[in-house]
Amino acid sequence: MSFCFNDANVAKIEALKKRYPSAQALSLPCLWMVQYQEGYISLDAIDVIAEVTDTPAMEIYRVATFYTMFHLEPTTQKRVLVCKTLSCKLCGSDAVLEQLKKHDVLVEHVECLGSCGTAPVMQIDDVNYENLTPTKVDAIVEGLR
Amino acid sequence: MREVAIVSRKFAVENSHTLSVAQAHGAYKTLEKLHTLAPLEIIEIIKESGLRGKGGGGAPAGAKWALMPQESERPSFVVINCDESEPGTFKDRQIITKDPHLLIEGILITCYAVKAKHAYVYIRGEYAQYQDVLQGAVDEAYVAGILGEVDVTLHRGAGAYICGEKSALLESLEGKRGHPRLKPKQPEPEWYFGNPTLVNNVETIASVPFIMEHGAAAYRAYGTEKSPGTLLFAMSGHVEKPGVYEAEFGVSMMDYINHYGGGMKNGKKLKAVIPGGASTGVMTAAEADNVQLDYESLRSMGLSLGTGGMIVMDEDTCMVSVLKNLLEFYHEESCGQCTPCREGTGWVDKLVGKILDKRGSSEDIDKLLEVAETMNGKTICVFAPAVSAVIVSFLSRFRDEFEAAL
Amino acid sequence: MSEMIEIIVDDKTYRAEEGSLLIDLLIREEIKVPYFCYHESLGADGNCRMCMVEIAGQKRPQIACDTLVKSGMEVNSKSTKIEKVHTDILELELINHPVDCPTCDQAGECSLQDLYMDYGLHDAKVTIVDKVKHDKKVDLGSNVMLDQERCVLCARCTRFTDKITHTHELGIIGRGDEAKVSTMPGRKLDNPYAMNVVDLCPVGALTSKDFRFHQRVWFLQSAESICHGCAKGCNIYIDHNKMKYQDDVIYRFRPRRNDAVNGFYICDEGRLSYKELETNRLESMLYDGVVVDEHEAIAQYKSLLTQYQGRVSVVIDANLYSEEIEAIVAYAERIGAKVFAPLECYNDPSFADDMLKSAQRAANYGAIVKMGLETNMPSDAGLIINFNHPTHFNAEAEIHFSTHKQESNALLLPMAAFSENSGSLINEVGLEQWCEKAVEKNSPAPTVLSWLEKVEG
Repeated sequence: MSFCFNDANVAKIEALKKRYPSAQALSLPCLWMVQYQEGYISLDAIDVIAEVTDTPAMEIYRVATFYTMFHLEPTTQKRVLVCKTLSCKLCGSDAVLEQLKKHDVLVEHVECLGSCGTAPVMQIDDVNYENLTPTKVDAIVEGLR
Repeated sequence: MREVAIVSRKFAVENSHTLSVAQAHGAYKTLEKLHTLAPLEIIEIIKESGLRGKGGGGAPAGAKWALMPQESERPSFVVINCDESEPGTFKDRQIITKDPHLLIEGILITCYAVKAKHAYVYIRGEYAQYQDVLQGAVDEAYVAGILGEVDVTLHRGAGAYICGEKSALLESLEGKRGHPRLKPKQPEPEWYFGNPTLVNNVETIASVPFIMEHGAAAYRAYGTEKSPGTLLFAMSGHVEKPGVYEAEFGVSMMDYINHYGGGMKNGKKLKAVIPGGASTGVMTAAEADNVQLDYESLRSMGLSLGTGGMIVMDEDTCMVSVLKNLLEFYHEESCGQCTPCREGTGWVDKLVGKILDKRGSSEDIDKLLEVAETMNGKTICVFAPAVSAVIVSFLSRFRDEFEAAL
Repeated sequence: MSEMIEIIVDDKTYRAEEGSLLIDLLIREEIKVPYFCYHESLGADGNCRMCMVEIAGQKRPQIACDTLVKSGMEVNSKSTKIEKVHTDILELELINHPVDCPTCDQAGECSLQDLYMDYGLHDAKVTIVDKVKHDKKVDLGSNVMLDQERCVLCARCTRFTDKITHTHELGIIGRGDEAKVSTMPGRKLDNPYAMNVVDLCPVGALTSKDFRFHQRVWFLQSAESICHGCAKGCNIYIDHNKMKYQDDVIYRFRPRRNDAVNGFYICDEGRLSYKELETNRLESMLYDGVVVDEHEAIAQYKSLLTQYQGRVSVVIDANLYSEEIEAIVAYAERIGAKVFAPLECYNDPSFADDMLKSAQRAANYGAIVKMGLETNMPSDAGLIINFNHPTHFNAEAEIHFSTHKQESNALLLPMAAFSENSGSLINEVGLEQWCEKAVEKNSPAPTVLSWLEKVEG
């Protein structure tokens, strides 16, 4: 299956090219665009990004595997990022994780999400849900349907 | 405690992220004054103010600005580090959501001073929703003609703590893996695609408009001789009211925790504080009782002030599991470039894991300290040395807890 | 060129170019410094952190590969402190290493092993179950096998495909201690120089599928020779061994550094061309397809020579050594034969590239040109005496000295290959180079010179 950027993303890429001294700088923006467009980053998409950024495909692949937020495999489940770092841990992230196990979601145990003052936190579709309790977790996940 | 609001002055104002509200509260006022001054005069003011980088290192900002060429055939760039990933740190997100125009104003002053026409704000990938707020402000500023002569582009990271290190950030901004670069042999600017570049933290740049408006002396009126001004200190963990509260450097840590944080959660006793983000080491309650929040005071204890994001822990906290938690973080986040860090972070994580699981021996504690020593001072960036210092700080203060777990 | 300055290393004074890399000086002066990632053709990467030295005035130890030589610099490479640094970093390098030397082909030429003997000698403090697990048998393509567990992530191989071949097949993916060398999923290492990564790899992570499990390296003997794959004249080692009760056999060619010719590398085709020396060799004398003994063969030779007196052409392969060519030319003069060295058949533009591969696929091409031998073959030869030239020429009769078997009714006389003899070659740009004799076969075929003695005796 081959990959093509949709029209909106093609326009975005053209605009971005003018904002950087080198096309290679577009590799992260392009990886994000692919992920939002397709849900994950396929090897075909990496080849297309390689062309857009005038960078070897291997380099794009290396970049994609370096950053934890890029997904190279598709999933049908909803991804839920749960912070496991210290402040969240001190404020009950273990209970959040336990509660999430009861739901059909893909839980990713991630490092600090920058919500230490409103811990514990989880992130779904780029939105942070803070000051969580198991009850809140249930309500939020139920609300996703 | 003296109340002060330099960076946080509009935080309490509703809708201060919008241009009209921000302008009603004084945003962009300094721009009129800006062009009455020469770039070098501004750098001089920043130097005089004693402004220090607020991303953790505390290096003098003015000296860094002065490294930028005033005459250059290549374009100069300004890069704002908003890769706020240090555990316990959540201050920059307050600025970009509650007063993004303050940051943009700071960027315009900085670009004028270092003769840059384009600034990038590198924002950690997990901050997408906050990035949207900042993007909204940038868009408004373009429409209003505030931006245009100078461009601001937001650039999203994608989950890598190491990109907070300025050279790794620039690699990432160039579209590469976030590997820190070999350090230059003499002071020089950073380089973005070979172009001279200034990298500063969000809060550093957000402090600049105040200094422009009120002068260096007004900034120095706060803080200590060597740590002038204020910081968006923060608290998380076992306190009643965690959050970000601006204070001047040099205030007593316990006064700060009690005044803004409302003291310990559930009336528990304090056991330990990590003073300024995970990488700054740990102190005991007794030490916390006597420490002031400034770079020099923390350094004299063998710790650092870092970002000023305090993680407060009560009497029930197991220090072995706290260290394990932090080492898991470093193990996960090491970029893997240098041998001592790549292999060391994994090893110390496993060693403390062994101790936590009660499978450890006293040799494991010795080994832990040995590996920490090997990780110190032998790598490209300060990631591994910071991990080393964290381990040493825990074992020098809470060794009995580790021994009890054997 | 920068100014030459003096620096002090371990209390001795050395001269070096100002601003050159300290590690280059240490390597050149054979001052022992451990390193994995640095390589003279790939430059500094600074990732292994092994090449630490103390520099007067610097608080912390510095890596020699990222230190520029400055006048008056004082370097200590051997203090107790710096040796401890080497030992400690090496220990970290080894914690996730599988220590499977008994089954590793790199054993005997492995930097990890060597450095362990110099700096390590510690007991393993990490049990095997706690080590990071990776794939141990990845077929990268181009005869290269990858064992990700043995890898020290020095990135030499990836820098090779990035900076030397510009083919970008290899990269380090993932991060932290989960980082590993890989190709893109479903893609292969595929370039004409791919197997050089095996030589570049300082440990047993990259091994040659062609060589692995065939021979322990400490049994091998190395002869200095020149690749016969084309007229470039790439310098090689011929690694061979004669096992008890067996014949002397070549196990591999390896590049031999010569900055004036091939640098550190050779092409894969040249590297694997050793196989031709071990297969399909002509072992007996044949006439009209029937095995003859030396007495009969020489009798036949002389009879043909008499029969075609005045109508004899001698044809010379442009892969023969110069000494052999000169002897043949002199011999031809004595018997009144004309000498030809047709070059057209060696011309193969499809083989050539802008790295090391030349379109002229004959090792002594330069000698033929220099000697000005006739390269156009006439069509009316009576008897052709062919000294291993690959082309079949029409003639009334043919004597063929050959290293390899031929489909022919001619008088076929086996001769020694270049690896079984020594001599000099001139490459396409006129550089003269010497080849050592490598192997001594149990029943060696005669060399050109001994054949000439036999047929004139």
